Amino acid sequence: MAILQVIGVQKDFSGLQVLTGVDFEVGEKERFSVIGPNGAGKTTLFNIISGKFRPSAGQVVFDGRDISSLPAYTRARLGMARSFQITNIFQRLSALDNVLAGVRSRAGLRHNLLRRPHHDRDLMKRSEQILERVGLADQRHTPAQELAYGQQRALEMGVTLSLEPKLVLLDEPTAGMSRQETEEAISMIRRVTKETACVIIEHDMNVVFSLADRISVLHYGVMLACGTPEEIRADQRVKDAYLGEEEE
Amino acid sequence: MASQNAVLHRVGLALALALLLVMPWLLGSYQLRLFTEAVIFSLYAVSYNMLLGYAGLLSFGHAMFFGWGAFSFAVALNHFPGIPLFGAVALAMASTTVMGLVVGVLLLRVKGTPFALLTLAFNALVFAIGIKWHSVTGGDDGLSIACPPLNLGFTALNVSHGANLYFFTLVIVGAAIAFAWYFTRTAMGQSVLLIRENEERMRFLGYNTNVSRLILFVLSGALAGLAGSFYAILNSFVSLDAVSIEMTTKVLLMTFIGGTGQFLGPVVGAFFFTYVQNYLSDLTDNWPLIMGALFIGMVLWVPGGLAGLAAKLSGGRKQGDQDGTLAGME
Amino acid sequence: MGEAAVFFLHGLAYAGLLFLVSSGLTLVFGMMNVLNFAHASFYMLGAYFAYSILYLTGNFWLALIISPIILLVIGAFVERFLLRKVHVHGHVHELLLTFGLAYIIQEAVKLIWGTTPQAMPLAGFLADTVNFFGVVYPVYRLFIFCLSALLGLGMALVLFKTRIGIIVRAAVDDSPMVDALGINVPMVFMGVFAVGAALSGFAGVAAGPLLSVFPGMAGSILVDAFVVIVMGGMGSLGGAVLASFIIGELQSFGVLLFPDFSLALIYMLMALVLVLKPEGLFGEKQ
Ligand SMILES: Nc1ncnc2c1ncn2[C@@H]1O[C@H](COP(=O)(O)OP(=O)(O)O)[C@@H](O)[C@H]1O
Ligand SMILES: [Mg+2]
Repeated sequence: MAILQVIGVQKDFSGLQVLTGVDFEVGEKERFSVIGPNGAGKTTLFNIISGKFRPSAGQVVFDGRDISSLPAYTRARLGMARSFQITNIFQRLSALDNVLAGVRSRAGLRHNLLRRPHHDRDLMKRSEQILERVGLADQRHTPAQELAYGQQRALEMGVTLSLEPKLVLLDEPTAGMSRQETEEAISMIRRVTKETACVIIEHDMNVVFSLADRISVLHYGVMLACGTPEEIRADQRVKDAYLGEEEE
Repeated sequence: MASQNAVLHRVGLALALALLLVMPWLLGSYQLRLFTEAVIFSLYAVSYNMLLGYAGLLSFGHAMFFGWGAFSFAVALNHFPGIPLFGAVALAMASTTVMGLVVGVLLLRVKGTPFALLTLAFNALVFAIGIKWHSVTGGDDGLSIACPPLNLGFTALNVSHGANLYFFTLVIVGAAIAFAWYFTRTAMGQSVLLIRENEERMRFLGYNTNVSRLILFVLSGALAGLAGSFYAILNSFVSLDAVSIEMTTKVLLMTFIGGTGQFLGPVVGAFFFTYVQNYLSDLTDNWPLIMGALFIGMVLWVPGGLAGLAAKLSGGRKQGDQDGTLAGME
Repeated sequence: MGEAAVFFLHGLAYAGLLFLVSSGLTLVFGMMNVLNFAHASFYMLGAYFAYSILYLTGNFWLALIISPIILLVIGAFVERFLLRKVHVHGHVHELLLTFGLAYIIQEAVKLIWGTTPQAMPLAGFLADTVNFFGVVYPVYRLFIFCLSALLGLGMALVLFKTRIGIIVRAAVDDSPMVDALGINVPMVFMGVFAVGAALSGFAGVAAGPLLSVFPGMAGSILVDAFVVIVMGGMGSLGGAVLASFIIGELQSFGVLLFPDFSLALIYMLMALVLVLKPEGLFGEKQ
């Protein structure tokens, strides 16, 4: 069964049509990717799936449940976590505190007036594990703002994973990275999304072809094509609309 | 090194506690009363800093809680003869909590400057209710109260003045301050800090940030209400002064002069303000001018307040310190 | 009918004052995002300076000119040396600074001029009455209204017809154009702040003979000015005109209809607008 279904989603911002009917499904444990040039509406699509915006039309179904009108925090509690294209972490907090925020949310420790998360061995251990998974174990006490760019991107991923979600939404996880950093990021993504479903936004084709089980191409708000990497590579419309542009 | 620091901390804490316990034997009755007042205002300022220092919410209406607590306490005593002291205090806190909930739901719909303005407006409304609802609040005349003795089972203590009042205040108000400190380390307290740092991310991590803010607002109000009831006990009287804009200004000055960046800042500020006001008002009627100038000076040159200054001088603790508050405000 | 007309005219005069105060307040907010708690203190200072000038020279016109000029200088000073300094510490500090300034000015005024209300006697034609459509009415209130209308028109002309005005409006609307044009933005901020202070001081001078001069005058108009800019939409000059008119009339008739509750009513109105329509009744939505 599909974990995520996007059905006929449209979005316009005061007249400007950014998404015009987007449909796709993501299976459990599937790595799905949305590609498209800058301005295609990919981030907007994530904002709609994750609950920052309401769609102008259409539905988002998560785990068999229509979540189109639920607030972002409820969607997060249902097991959906997103990362941000522009790093969006707690800058003045340590790396550990950054992931602890998600870890304790997952454990339901959000508004508790008596328990202290820093004194909870289990939570702390899980936070450490998350940091290890994204390769930041040695930086646990470093304030996020003092981390190198690549490490901040890793922490961005760590904060997302700290919810231990069923579905991970990654918005250009390799944005701004050097080639080597990108390689490392790809292998990390492959590792950490082994047991979950995952949607990755990218405009870098190479990243996607090596990662995704299936790819869909978004072009100015329209889904051009959807299929396996081989099918997408062979698709004439995609070549015309997207690959051609890139190579020019 | 860290453990040495911890030992030092503990020794300091023990010394401070011992000093607090022997205060009645060190101070004359006038001085002891002043000290008790400073303890009460400490709670008032600490509760205010939960909004300003921790959540970055600038309120111009905190006296509505302080005054509401004071009046609720007085009204409970006057309208339910025979009510035990703790009953009246509990009722006062409960009524402030309800009030905080109602006001908070309305207020927290907006942020920033509109929020500051709304708190000002609500403070004025509560003040107007105080004036107009003469039959309950006594209007401009205020309410006198006869504080019932504190029933300890084996004996009943008169806690309305002197050393008894001091110890009663120290235990209850002190416990409330200690709770406020503990609160900053709880899940809820940490959430408030994180929300101030990055509210959007918190929402995507499953936090209903509006609920967090509401809980904080109500809690902060309830603690201010508790401070208000003790203020009523201290004076054996409640006047509209307790709910006035001046009382709001007072807590603002105390908190800011003391420092919003550290938990103890407002306590420092409350003591500083109480004593300096006491000293200056003997010398000149224009002490508010001096206090105001001091405040402006702080805003301009010492945004961390006295506590921030002390921390800086004693060896530059890093910003975003152990007390959990984040230095600097947006 | 005659009585209602009198109250209506009273309301107009007060609306004029209110507009002079709130226009500066709203422009400064729109531009710098600072709600200036000390803005009404400039109004009060304007009145007190005028009172002293009148006391020394006996010439009201002199007071009407000199006092706003002093406020212009004070305003420039406050922006340049105080507000700009705390800007780096963020929004809360800016608010706190203006709040502290208002507090200090209040106390300083009490120290210098005392707490008893002072009258500013008028002479010449300003002290006369006219027969206005069958109602005998003091010239001075009409004078206030005309003066504020004139100043309002002047302001509109400057804002909409001059280069400076275009820059100011762009700054209020947060247009990136301002920076792009290579304009000295801090200079514009200081200018608008100072002119706002002067206008507020001007309103204070005008208010003196009408309402007398006393240390509480800042607080009472500040609340009304807050309500005006909240209703009018923060940063909107047109909104300020409309809202000034409404609040002016409401105060005038409110005192008549609900003498005990007028202050609470004004606050309630502000709270209602803020809760239900935070962008203001007439303000353009951001
Ligand atoms: N909040 C918004 N309001 C108005 N327009 C927006 C908003 N968010 C995005 N857009 C517009 O939608 C289009 C798609 O943006 P985006 O989803 O960020 O593209 P991508 O992530 O594919 O680069 C852009 O033209 C952008 O300007
Ligand atoms: Mg994008």
